[in-house]
Amino acid sequence: MNRRSLAAIALAVTALAAVPLASKSDYLLGVLIVSSIFAVFAASWDFMSGQTGRENFGHALFIGAGAYSAAFLNLEFGLPPAATVPLGGVAALFFAVLIGLPTLRLSGPYFAVATLVAASIMERLTLVLWETTGGEEGLTGLSALARTSVARYYVALTFLAVTVGILVALARSRWGLILRAIRGDEAAAQAAGTNTTLHKMGALLVSAFAAGMAGAVYAHYQQSVGPHVFGVILTVTIITMAYVGGIGTTYGAIAGAFLLTIMTEGLRQFGEFRLLVYTLFLIAIIRFLPDGLLLPIFQRGRTP
Amino acid sequence: MLELLLYGGVSSAIYALLAVGFTLIFGVARVFNLGHGSFYALGAYFTYAGQTYFKLPLLLSAAAAVALVAGIGVGMARAFATPMQRSVLAALMITLGFALLVEQILLLTFGSQARNVQNMIAGTVQIGAASISAQRLLTLAVGAGLIAALWLFIHKTRLGAAILAISQDREAAQYQGINTARIFTIVMALSAGLAAIAGILAGSFLTVQPDMGILPMVKAVSIVIVGGLGSIPGSIIAALLLGYGETAVAFLFSTRFTELVSLGAVLLVLSLRPAGLLGKRAAF
Repeated sequence: MNRRSLAAIALAVTALAAVPLASKSDYLLGVLIVSSIFAVFAASWDFMSGQTGRENFGHALFIGAGAYSAAFLNLEFGLPPAATVPLGGVAALFFAVLIGLPTLRLSGPYFAVATLVAASIMERLTLVLWETTGGEEGLTGLSALARTSVARYYVALTFLAVTVGILVALARSRWGLILRAIRGDEAAAQAAGTNTTLHKMGALLVSAFAAGMAGAVYAHYQQSVGPHVFGVILTVTIITMAYVGGIGTTYGAIAGAFLLTIMTEGLRQFGEFRLLVYTLFLIAIIRFLPDGLLLPIFQRGRTP
Repeated sequence: MLELLLYGGVSSAIYALLAVGFTLIFGVARVFNLGHGSFYALGAYFTYAGQTYFKLPLLLSAAAAVALVAGIGVGMARAFATPMQRSVLAALMITLGFALLVEQILLLTFGSQARNVQNMIAGTVQIGAASISAQRLLTLAVGAGLIAALWLFIHKTRLGAAILAISQDREAAQYQGINTARIFTIVMALSAGLAAIAGILAGSFLTVQPDMGILPMVKAVSIVIVGGLGSIPGSIIAALLLGYGETAVAFLFSTRFTELVSLGAVLLVLSLRPAGLLGKRAAF
C-alpha cells in the first residue's frame, strides 16, 4: 500500500462519514446506504473471483440466501438484525459448500455456470413456493436496521468498513498471496505443493459469508425481500461493478459499486428505459474497455 | 404411464432443440452462449408479432421469425466473436448482457403480460388411454425430425465435417484451411434458428413472457454439462434424461420441484463424472 492510495482511502472514508453533517436528506443517505451494501456485494465477489480468477456467475445465490433467511428468522422468530445478519452469512455458507465442493476442483467454467444455474433455480423456487416465500411480492415487514436514516447510514457504513477491512487484510495476508498464485498459474501452485482446491473453497466461504451478511443487511434496509435478490441481473450488476473498478483490486470494486449505484439513480429520468440503457452501458464497457474504467485512470502516469 | 412417456418426450424434444445448438457453439468456439435463451424467446415473440401486427399466416410468420433470429445470431457472431475469445469472463458477461438486453427490449415492446403463439394444429389426439394436444405431438415430431436432420447434416456434408473438425482440434482444422470465423457464424445462425423453432413450438402451450428465455438457457447449460461439453449425442441423451426426469417428478411428486432436477443433475454429474455422460475427457 503506497502513500497515495492510503491518502485516497482516508479521504474517501472521512468524506463519507461527514456526509450527514452536510445533509440529512433521506434520499441522499438512502443512495449512499444502497451504494455501501452493493460495495460489500462487489468486494465479496471480488475476493473469490478477483483473487483466484474463478468467476462466480451466481453471486446472487449467496445474497438471496442471506436475505431470505434473515426475513424468515426476523418474521417467524422475531430475531433482531444483529442476529439475522450473521445467520444470513451462515445460510450462504451452506450454498457455498453445496456448489463449491463438486465444481472448484475442476478447471474451466464449471464453477461459473454451476453458480449461475443454482441462482436461477433458486429465483424460480421463490416464485414456485409462493406460500412460504411470498412469490412475486416477496416478504415484507422486516425490522428496520435502525430508527433514523442517519443511524441507518452509519450502520451501513460501519458494516462496509469492517467487512472491507477484513477482506483487504485477508487479501494482503500470506493466504491472499496463495490465492493470487492460483489465479496466476494454478498448475504451478499445485506443483509447489499447494492444495489449490482447499484454498479456493476457503476463498468461496469467505466471499459467501460476506455476501450473505450483506444480503441480510439489504433485506433489513429495504424491510422486504423479493425474488430479484436471486436474480441474474443482480449478479451481472455486481460483476460489472467489480469490472468497472478493476478486477482483483478490492477498492476498485467498491469504487465501481458507488459509481454504478449513483449512475443508476441518474438513469431514473429514463423511466421504463432505465434498465435498457443500463444494460447497453454494461455491454459497451465489456466490449470496449478490457481493463475496466477506473483502474486505468488510477494507474495513469505510473510505471506498469 | 403412456402419458408420462408422451409428455416427457415433448419436454425432451424442446430441450434437445435448445441444447444441441448450445453444444455446437461450445464445440466450435469454446464459449457458453448465455444469450441462447433469447433466441428461444425471440422466436416466439416474432411469430406472435407477425401474426398479430402484420396479419401474416402462422407458418409464414414462423418462417420469418426463424430467419430473423438466425440473422440476429449472425450479427452476434460478427459483433462479439473477438471480445468473446478474449476471456471466459468477457464471453459470459457479453452473452448474459445480450440476454438481459433482449429481455428489456421485449418488455418495452410487448409489455409484461403473458401471451401465446397460436397452435399450428388444434385439437387433442387420443392414443390408447392417454390424450395429448395435437400441438404437443407436433412439437415432439418436429423436434425429433430436426435432430435427425442435423445429425445427417453434421455427418454427411462437408460443412458438417468442418464443424466436427473444429470441435475436435481448432488449430489442426485451421491448418487444413477451414475458415473458423465463417464456420462460427454459420453455427451461430443454425443454433439460433433451432432455439427459435423450439420457442415457436412451445410458445403455444407454455407462456410467452419477456423473461421466458432465462430458464431455457439454464436448462440448456445443465443439459450440456450433464451430456458432456461439445458432444451432440451426449446433449440428446441428457435432454431425454432431463425431459423425462422432470416429467416423472411432476407426475410422482409435484410440479413445484421439477426445477430442482436440473440443478441436482448438474451437481451429481460434476461430482461423479465431470466430463459428462458422453464426454471423452474433461473439456479443459
